[in-house]
Amino acid sequence: MRILGIDTSGYVNAVGVIDGEQVLADFTFEARTDSLEKIVSNIDMALKSANLTLDDIYGIGVGLGPGSWTGIRVGVTVGKILAYSTDKPVCGVPTLEVLAYSARNESSLICPIISTGTGDTVYAAFYRAGDGNIARVGEYYVGDMPGLAKMLSESTVFVGLGAESYRQLISREAGSSKISIRAVEAVPGGAVVARLAAIRLARGESDDVLSLTPLYLKESTAKAFINRYSR
Amino acid sequence: MLVLGIETSCDETSAALVADGEVVLSSVIATQLDLLRKYGGVVPEIAARRHTELIGYVIKEAIDSAGKTLDDVEAIAVTSRQGLIGCLLVGVAAAKSLSYSRQIPLIGVHHIEGHIFANRLSNPRMPVPHVCLTVSGGHTMLLYVRDSCKYELLGTTLDDAAGEAFDKIAKFLGLGFPGGPVIDKLSAQGARDAFNFPRPMIKARALDFSFSGLKTSVINDFKDRIARHEELPLADIAASFQEAIVDVLVSKTLRAAIEREVAAISVTGGVSANSRLREAFQDACRDKDIAVYFPRLSLCTDNAAMIAAAGYARMRLGETADLNLNVFPNAPLEV
Repeated sequence: MRILGIDTSGYVNAVGVIDGEQVLADFTFEARTDSLEKIVSNIDMALKSANLTLDDIYGIGVGLGPGSWTGIRVGVTVGKILAYSTDKPVCGVPTLEVLAYSARNESSLICPIISTGTGDTVYAAFYRAGDGNIARVGEYYVGDMPGLAKMLSESTVFVGLGAESYRQLISREAGSSKISIRAVEAVPGGAVVARLAAIRLARGESDDVLSLTPLYLKESTAKAFINRYSR
Repeated sequence: MLVLGIETSCDETSAALVADGEVVLSSVIATQLDLLRKYGGVVPEIAARRHTELIGYVIKEAIDSAGKTLDDVEAIAVTSRQGLIGCLLVGVAAAKSLSYSRQIPLIGVHHIEGHIFANRLSNPRMPVPHVCLTVSGGHTMLLYVRDSCKYELLGTTLDDAAGEAFDKIAKFLGLGFPGGPVIDKLSAQGARDAFNFPRPMIKARALDFSFSGLKTSVINDFKDRIARHEELPLADIAASFQEAIVDVLVSKTLRAAIEREVAAISVTGGVSANSRLREAFQDACRDKDIAVYFPRLSLCTDNAAMIAAAGYARMRLGETADLNLNVFPNAPLEV
């Protein structure tokens, strides 16, 4: 089953192609220098590097975010319109899950972290690995690092861009000294997005092509403002 | 040639199928009026989120309601210039995906050129050269249209767009949003000469516009009475304010037409739906023996049919885009 995976939620734009267990292409482009407008060209390039065309693809995986709001909108739109226009299934994959999957061989709790881009606020979640896959434990977290530190009760590995600096921040927080915290630097990869989509597709699951929506995890500032003051 | 148009530059998610740049087979517009009313205007982040939710449905509906399939679509035209960046990006991402997956040409269209073509869609026999006034919430622009897609800039607003002035005055008077239709309707019950508001730059030689002084003048005249909760003659204020804007737009456009010796005027954009503006243009043009053209009401505000028509014209000139098509929120119309 050949699957195309894309993620444009953050620091890199990722495109990958897999066929079963085999990675046929896996490219990451720094978003700053290779911005969103190239995502469709990059998909074409990744497919060509694997000697494939879109016709050869069974389904499409899309990183839903959280991350750059503009980025996830472009990625989700490209993913769902490609799926709609080629009549292929699409699977949205939370980008935190993509990061967590990169650390699926860890025995400790896995905590992917993504910067919100404002202050020291982060998006995070906890995952546990098992049977070659991962499963989320509890809700998504949006907040500061001290708040995240309070949630730690066992050995944890942080995964993400800047994981080491988050580890150092947390290690300075009181009460967490007895817990082992490690860091794995990672960015979301296109092939991992494709792999997670493949797992769902193999179970016969997919998302509705037209209604697929990014996972923002934060409402827009204007909406938050009006909700707070209009009551 | 069947062109699918996509327009997401501001607050309308729209897709349309247009045949040969002339026949509108479908035009689907999902408005965000509920959000505009709630927030009193366009909030870029909220608008962009809504576009992302709706874009797939709108494209599918445009194709299905025309009784066509994606196989029938031969080119994709999308607004890529002028608008809110986050909003433009959604439409362009969708358009590129379609162009790539269907292997059909992609055309990036300037939003203002779309409005110019809205009038051609409505009046296929509109002659060139002509003078074109594009007037909306975001623009007030006077162009000499030499030929299809060949423009010369004659004048533009130096501050607020005409539609923006309508919105701001409606908000000031507590009439709601969007201001254009509300003021138009209310003005029918008021006297156009009840108040003598300024006609900014009406005598200036340049063909530029300015509406912020008019807006300030209206606000200054009534803010004390509003603060004292006095009842205002709202219909008279609306009618007199509207008349001031209409006066300036008609007189400048007419002067441009006379200077350029053209026999036709095209008025387009959201404000071209204003009933008093249409009436005043018709009266003034009749006297000067100039023909005046307006788009169908459904094509005045932002829509994708006009983008498809403009895209078709650009494609006939051999101007297509590649998959790296970018968005330019502030790009001026190429003249």
